[in-house]
Amino acid sequence: MDNMLLVSLSHQLAAYRSMDVIANNLANMSTPGFKGESVKFQEFVSNLHSAEGETGPKTVSFVQDMGVSRDLRKGTLVSTNAPYDLAVGGKGYFVVQTANGLRYTRDGHFSLDTGGNLVDADGNQVQGDGGAVTITPDDGTIHFAEDGTITGQTGELGKLRVVDFGNDAALQAEGNNLFSTTQSAEDSTDAHVQQGMLENSNVEPVIEMAKMIDVMRAYEATANLSSAQEDLMKSAIDRLGAPVTN
Amino acid sequence: MRALSIAATGMLAQQTNVEVIANNLANMNTVGYKQQRAEFQDLLYQNIEPAGSQSSDSGTLVPSGIQLGAGVRTAAVYRIMSQGEMTSTSNPYDVAIQGSGFFHITLPDGTDAYTRAGNFALSPTGQIVTDQGYTVAPGIAVPQNALSVSVNAQGQVSATVPGQVAPQVLGQFELVRFPNEAGLNATGGNLYTETPSSGSPQAGVPGATGYGTIQQGFLETANVDSVEEITSLITAQRAYEMNSKVITAADDMLDMTAKMAG
Repeated sequence: MDNMLLVSLSHQLAAYRSMDVIANNLANMSTPGFKGESVKFQEFVSNLHSAEGETGPKTVSFVQDMGVSRDLRKGTLVSTNAPYDLAVGGKGYFVVQTANGLRYTRDGHFSLDTGGNLVDADGNQVQGDGGAVTITPDDGTIHFAEDGTITGQTGELGKLRVVDFGNDAALQAEGNNLFSTTQSAEDSTDAHVQQGMLENSNVEPVIEMAKMIDVMRAYEATANLSSAQEDLMKSAIDRLGAPVTN
Repeated sequence: MRALSIAATGMLAQQTNVEVIANNLANMNTVGYKQQRAEFQDLLYQNIEPAGSQSSDSGTLVPSGIQLGAGVRTAAVYRIMSQGEMTSTSNPYDVAIQGSGFFHITLPDGTDAYTRAGNFALSPTGQIVTDQGYTVAPGIAVPQNALSVSVNAQGQVSATVPGQVAPQVLGQFELVRFPNEAGLNATGGNLYTETPSSGSPQAGVPGATGYGTIQQGFLETANVDSVEEITSLITAQRAYEMNSKVITAADDMLDMTAKMAG
C-alpha cells in the first residue's frame, strides 16, 4: 500500500523538475541564441515480491526523468542594425576562445575590444580562420558576407569560423550562451551569416505556458491522489483498530 | 523548488529590458542619442546526468543527459552606434557628423568628453561651445563682427568679416574615434567619456579615412525607431507577465504540497 505514496512521490518530483525547466525556458525568452529544453521521462518498473497466494509477476512503475532534450530549431531573426551583431542562418555555431578552451555559440552579439579584436559579450575572442579577428577603425564600414568573409574598406580581413557537429543535440550548455563539446568541429556547409541581426530565443511562450498549466494540474491530481490514499489508510487504521464491541 | 528563483531572474531581466526601452523612447528627440539594447545570457547549468554518460555495461550512452538551467542574467546593455537621420535646422552652429567619429569636448575641469550632438552655440567670448557651454576642441573663436559663418565638409570653420572679400579661416573641428565605440561611458548631457573597453581616442580631421564628414545646418537625430521600441516593449511586458505566472504556478504547487502534509 505504501507503494502508491511512493509512486505519487516519483511523479511529484518529476513535476518539480519539469517546472524548473519550463521556468528556465520562459526566463530565457529574450536570450539570443537560446534553445528551449524539455524533460523526457520514462517508466521505471520495479518487481515486487508476490504476496502469499498470489500468482504471476507483480510490478509497480515509477516515473523517472531520463534526459533533458534541446529543441534545436532556429529562432526567429531580429534586426538590431548593430554592425557586429551576427546571426547564423542554417546549421552552425560561432567559435569563441575562452579561458577553458574553445566554446560554441549561436548568440552573435559581438563587439570590439580595445585591441580591435572581435569579442563576445564576455570579452572572449571570436575565432576566424586564422585565430582572432582584428578590425581597426581604418577599415571603415565592415561587411560580413554570408559565408563569413569579413571585408573592410582596405580589403578582406579574414573569415569567421562557423562550425557544425555530427550530433549537436549532445552539446553541453555552459551558461553565458555558450556550448561545449568533445566532438570535433567541422566547417559548416549550409550556414550563412547575417549581419545586423540576432537569432532570438526559440522558446515558444504559448507552448511553455500550456505545458506549465499541464504540469501544475498533473501535480494537483497526484497530490489529491496522495491525500485520498492517506484518508484510506487513516480510515483503515480507525476501523481495524477500533475496540471490538459485542 | 527552483522554478521560483528562475522565474525571478526572468522578471528581473525583463525589468531591465523595459527600463532600457523606456530610456530609448524618452530620448527619441535627443540630438545624437544612440539607441541601447539589453543583451541576455543564460546562467550556469547544473549537470545532473552529463550527456554521454554510460547507460549500460555494454557501452550505450545517454543521448542528452540532464542539465538544469538556473535562469537568465543581463550580460550587457550596449549602444548601437548606427547613423541617425539628418534633420535640417538652418542654424549655422548646428553641425552633424555623417559617418563615424565624435566631437571632442573639453569639460570645465579640463578632462575630455565626446559627443555626437552638434547643437553648438557661441559663448560670450565668441568661442564655439556646446549647449552646456563647454568648449568644443580645438576651441574655435568667431569674431564678433562676423557676418556669416560657414563650416565645410572637412570641418573647417570660416567667417566673412566686413571689409574682407575672402572668408577668414578660423579653425577646424576635430573628430575622435575609438576602437570600440560601444564601450564608451555615457555620462548624460549627450556626452561620452573614454573607458578601458572603448580604447584610447584617435584624433583626426573630418573627411580623413575612417572619419565622417561635417554637415552644417543639420542635426543628427536619435537613431531610435519608435515602432521597433514599442514592439519590444510589448514583448518585454508579456515576457514579464509570463514569468510572474510561473511564480504563481510554482507557488500553487508548493501550496498543494503543504496541504498534503496537513
